Amino acid sequence: MTVFLAMLLDAYRQLNSKKLFWVVLAISGIVVLFYGSIGFDDTGMSMFFGLTHIEDPMLTRDSFLSKLLYRSIFSTFILGLWLAWIATILALISTTAIFPDFLADGAIDIVLSKPVTRVKVFFFKYIASLLFVVLQVAIFCLGVFLCLGLRLSDWEWRIFAAIPLLTLFYSYLYSVNVLIGVWSRSTLTALLVTLLFWFGIFSTNAAETIVNRIKTQMIMEVEGNDRDIARMEVSLGGLQSNQVPADSPARANLQRSLESTRSDRDERQVLIDKIERWHKPVRVLQAIMPKTGETIGLLDRWLRRDTDINIMDILDGAVAVDESGRYRRTQGDEDREIERRLESEAETRSDWYIIGTSLAFEAVVLLLGCSIFVKRDY
Amino acid sequence: MRPGGDLKEHRPKADKALTPSRPASRTHHLSESNGQYAIDLHEVKKVYRGKVHALRGIEMQVHPREIFGLLGPNGAGKSTLVKIMMTVVRPTKARGTVLGRPMGHKPTLARVGYLPEHHRLPGYLTGRQTLEFYAALAKVPRAVRRRRSEELLDTVGLSEWTTKKISSFSKGMLQRLGLAQALMNDPDLIVLDEPTDGVDPVGRRDIRDVLLKLRDEGKTVFLNSHLLSELEMVCDRVAILVQGTVATQGTLDELTAESQRYEIVIQGAPPTWISEYPSLRSKAEDGRSRLILMGAEPEPIQPLLDRLRGEGRTILSVKPVRETLEDLFMRAITDPETGATLQPGAIAGGKGGRK
Repeated sequence: MTVFLAMLLDAYRQLNSKKLFWVVLAISGIVVLFYGSIGFDDTGMSMFFGLTHIEDPMLTRDSFLSKLLYRSIFSTFILGLWLAWIATILALISTTAIFPDFLADGAIDIVLSKPVTRVKVFFFKYIASLLFVVLQVAIFCLGVFLCLGLRLSDWEWRIFAAIPLLTLFYSYLYSVNVLIGVWSRSTLTALLVTLLFWFGIFSTNAAETIVNRIKTQMIMEVEGNDRDIARMEVSLGGLQSNQVPADSPARANLQRSLESTRSDRDERQVLIDKIERWHKPVRVLQAIMPKTGETIGLLDRWLRRDTDINIMDILDGAVAVDESGRYRRTQGDEDREIERRLESEAETRSDWYIIGTSLAFEAVVLLLGCSIFVKRDY
Repeated sequence: MRPGGDLKEHRPKADKALTPSRPASRTHHLSESNGQYAIDLHEVKKVYRGKVHALRGIEMQVHPREIFGLLGPNGAGKSTLVKIMMTVVRPTKARGTVLGRPMGHKPTLARVGYLPEHHRLPGYLTGRQTLEFYAALAKVPRAVRRRRSEELLDTVGLSEWTTKKISSFSKGMLQRLGLAQALMNDPDLIVLDEPTDGVDPVGRRDIRDVLLKLRDEGKTVFLNSHLLSELEMVCDRVAILVQGTVATQGTLDELTAESQRYEIVIQGAPPTWISEYPSLRSKAEDGRSRLILMGAEPEPIQPLLDRLRGEGRTILSVKPVRETLEDLFMRAITDPETGATLQPGAIAGGKGGRK
C-alpha cells in the first residue's frame, strides 16, 4: 500500500508540474461555466445567463423535459464531445510520456532496485497514470452537479458515474498507449499508434453504424413489402371470390403489382443477406474491440433510464404529453423509426457486456505490456 | 550552505577526510563474516541477444563491512554486473547470494541502497520529495522517511535545497542527492556506480568521507568507478574486470605483493658487494645509487643499512615502494603474451578476448 500511495502521489506531482493539466482544467472550467449559463424560467429556456431566450412551454422551470434536456446536454454534448474527444486527446498528449520517461535509462534503474516486483511496479504506475483523467473528470462532474442542483434543484448523484465511465473509456486507449510506450520506449510512437487505434475503433463503429442503418432501412422496406403483399393478396382473393375475370384490367394490374412487389422484396432480401455477410465480421471485430462510444453512452442510458425520450426528440420537438400526463415520443417518420430500432438494438447490449468485453481487451493488452516490461533488461 | 560545503557532524575523522589512506590492515577473512559474504557471485553470465557476451562467468566475493572497488575499462561489463545484482538486468546464468539471500531476491533489496550511473531523478520533485518517494518504494515507514530525508540532505550538503525542485540542481548536486537516495533505507549494502561522476573535488572528498563513515558503521560498500585514485584511497579490496571476467581480485596488499620493494638511495656509486645479495639490484643515476630490495618486510633491509653506514655511505632516503592501482590496472588489461592492451568492450560471439 505504501508503494502504491507513493506512486499515486508521484503521479499527482508529475501532473501538477505539467502546464497542459492546468490548461485542460481551465477549459473544463469554461465549459462548466457555459453549462451553468443555461437556465429555465416560467416561459422557457435561456442561455449565456439570459442573453438569449427561447420560449417553449415544455421547457419551463421544474418541468420534466427541462431537467431531461439539461442532463442530456451534459451526457450527450459535454461528455460526448468535450470530455470524450477533445479532453481525451489532450490527456493522451499529457500522459503518453509517463511510461517512456519512467523507462528511461537511469530512471527505471532506481525503481527496479527497490524491493517491489516488476509486475506491481507496472500496474501501480499504470493505475497512478489514470489520475489525470480521474481528477479532471471529478472536478468537472462536481461543477456540473452543482449547476444541475442550483439551476433546477436536480441533485443528481448519478452525474458522478461519469468519473468511472470516463476513466474506463480512457483506460481502454491508455492501455494501448502503455503497451506501445513500453515496447518502443518512444513517446511519439506511443501517441501516434494510440490515435491510430482510436481512429480504427471509430472507423469500425462508424462503418457498422452505416451498414446497420442501411440494413435496418431495408428490413423496414421488406416489412413494408410484406404488408403490401399481404394487402394485395387479400384484395386479389376478394376479386377472385367475386369471380372477377383474371384478364380484367383491375385484377391484371393488381397481379402485376403483386409480382413486382414480391420481386422487389426478394431483391431487397438478397441485398440484406449480402449486407449481413459484411455486417457479421464487423460485429465480431466490434465485440473484441473496446466499446469506447458505448461506454460513454452508458451515462446517457443511466440518466434517462425512466424514459425513452432522448435529446434529439426534445430538440426536434417530437415530444407530446399523453392522457395520463406522461411525456412520450410522438410517432415519427421512417427516419425516426430507424433511430428507434437502432437505439433499441443498442440497448439490448447490457452494461456488463459493454464494460466486461472492453475490460477483457484492456486486460489482454496490459498483460502483454506487463510481460514486455517484466522480461526486458534496462 | 553551498552544495559543496562541509558535512558538519556527519563528517568522519578529520585526518581521514583530509588524507584518506588505504586501510591496508583491513583484510577480511571468512571468519570475520561468519562464513557469509555480503556478495558472493558464481558463474554470472550475460549474453545480450545471443551474441554479445557481456559477462563470461564472474566469480566475485565481497566481505561484509568493507569498501569493495570494481574497476575495469569501458565495456568490461561492470555496469551490467551491478545491474544484475540490482535486478535491473536479468542474468543469462548466475549463482550466488547478496546479503545471504539468492541473487534477485526482491525483499533483500530493502537492505540495499543503489545509485546507478547517469541516474535520472524526476525533475518535478523537490530534494526532500525525491528522497521520500524512493524511500517509500523501499518500504521505509513514513515517520522514518521524513526524519532520514532531513538528516541525509544535511549529510550530503543539500539542507538548504530541501524544498527546491531538482530540475534546478547541478550535476554534482544531483549526484549528492542520488547518494542520499541510496542511503534512505539505512542499507547494509550500498552499491554505487560512478558516485563521483560530475562532482567537484570538494564534493568528491565529501563523498569519500561518507563512504568511509558508512564502512565504519559496519556497512558494506560496493563501488564501481573509473577513477582509480578515488578507489585507491578508500577501497579495502578491489576486483578488476576485463572483457567480462574477473582478471584479479583481493586487497591492494595482496595484489601488489609481488611488486612490493624497498628503495634505498645513497650518495655515490653502488657498493661492490651487491652481488652478495641475490634479491638486491642497483641503479646508478646522477652521482647517486638506487638500491632495490624486493619484498614487503622491513627486516631484510636493516643489515644493508648497517653495512652502508659502516662504510660511511650517506643514505639519502629509504622508502617502501609498491605498484599503484593504476599500475595494477594496466597490468591487468595488458595481454601477458603480446604485451598489447586488451581491446575494450564486450565480446561478440564469446570468442577471443582475454585468455
